[in-house]
Amino acid sequence: MSAVQFDAQQQVGSLYRDHHGWLQGWLGRKLGNAFDAADLAQDTFLRILSAWQKAESADAPVDLDLRQPRAYLTTVAARLLVNHYRRLSLERAYLEALAILPDAQAPSTEDRLIILETLHQIDAMLGRLTAKVRTAFLLSQLEGLSYADIADRLQVHVRTVKRYMAEAYEECILLMA
Amino acid sequence: MSATPIAEDGRPLDRAIARQAAAWLVRLQEDATPVDVAACDAWRAADAEHERAWQRAQRLAHMFDAVPPQVGMHALNRDRRGDAAQRRAAIKALTILLLTGSAGYSLSRNVPWRDWISDERTATGERRAVRLADGSEIELNTRTAFNVAFSPQERALILNDGEILVETGHDPHNPSAIYRPFIVRTVQGQVRALGTRFVVRQEYGATQVSVLHGAVEITSRDTVVKRVVAAGQQTRFTARLIDPAAPVDPHVADWSQGVLFADQMRLGDFLAELSRYRPGVLRCDPAVAALRISGAFQLRNTDDILAALPDTLPVGVVYRTRYWVSVVAASGAGEAQRV
Repeated sequence: MSAVQFDAQQQVGSLYRDHHGWLQGWLGRKLGNAFDAADLAQDTFLRILSAWQKAESADAPVDLDLRQPRAYLTTVAARLLVNHYRRLSLERAYLEALAILPDAQAPSTEDRLIILETLHQIDAMLGRLTAKVRTAFLLSQLEGLSYADIADRLQVHVRTVKRYMAEAYEECILLMA
Repeated sequence: MSATPIAEDGRPLDRAIARQAAAWLVRLQEDATPVDVAACDAWRAADAEHERAWQRAQRLAHMFDAVPPQVGMHALNRDRRGDAAQRRAAIKALTILLLTGSAGYSLSRNVPWRDWISDERTATGERRAVRLADGSEIELNTRTAFNVAFSPQERALILNDGEILVETGHDPHNPSAIYRPFIVRTVQGQVRALGTRFVVRQEYGATQVSVLHGAVEITSRDTVVKRVVAAGQQTRFTARLIDPAAPVDPHVADWSQGVLFADQMRLGDFLAELSRYRPGVLRCDPAVAALRISGAFQLRNTDDILAALPDTLPVGVVYRTRYWVSVVAASGAGEAQRV
């Protein structure tokens, strides 16, 4: 397949002109507010621009169907939506966790933001793991439990815990920047 | 065996190599023999990509180290099935919570949304004095935040978090004709100065007041009970109740001189107090929490305080990271570990 010669900037520019408003409306209905919709709409186009510019510079074929621009846009936006909801749910859980900490153990304001950022990075890596694998991995990494203790907790064999751990490690190492 | 750091440029790692690295990590995590370690070292040395995978795993471990366990478990191990249904409302509250002082949000926060930017604040371990427009001198202890709300009727200070030592000024440039009372407000109520020098400390669910000179009148927020507390006395109050006054702790304001004083204090309580002056987590093993500690400790360097604990008490200090520290029972074989 021959490389598609095009100007990424120009192509995304016209995509933006023609469909930005519509995408923002679509996202607004999904999210229930215009603020986030505007942010995510911007992110969608930025992501597309970045991907196309990479393809352009590598002279690689661009794998997309411009005959259905809105379908394309919603596909990209949907992925961003998933991330967005995941970040929201993490932050809500984090807020709860902070609220139930005794004051003496509360991290400082500066630390709280750093910890949240770290949590986001870790959370992104755990996204594809099943609940049991994730639980086993977190019990090991955060609470320092032995495999025997984890096996006990999850009511599985130690060899299953080892399988879970290997799966989680592999996923995280792969996804880590 | 040490290796030169492999530059991580975000190039994708081969899944097969990630899988191998994972297998090594699992093998070494439980009962690693010298043979295992040597074999792993050999695998790492065999290919730069192996080493790159290994170093990703090390960075991963550091990331986990930075997260307090209970917080991390609750946040990361949450049920994700309802994720798509989340709404935006959580974020605003979170932003405000993150930028204000206390984790005990519902009980000790006094923050209408518009007031979350405090006029004066200190970071963990910081101590500072400010002078207000009426000549009052306020000393802020660690993790303290307050708003100044002077009006023609009153000189109010809204304590959002932490601990302050107040020396009220005479208000020489009072713009109004009448006397303006000096008032400190917390979630639990207000403390009106009837004299000059006192300490107000926001705790979890209560406000602590210690009067050094003059007197204050406390008003509880919900029940509107009033009580005058005079010099040499201290008390605690909630939104509903004001405790009977007790003799003031002579060391209640030592922090303004950079000192933490303990007289046969429970180690658990001492460390809880010390943790206010340190970022991160400082835990006390319940096995040693009841030990008694005495002394006058310089808050300028909390690391030194921790380092000296094993000199006088049968404890060890374990540093998981510089700011994630546990004080545990000293074992016969073990030694304090340092990062």
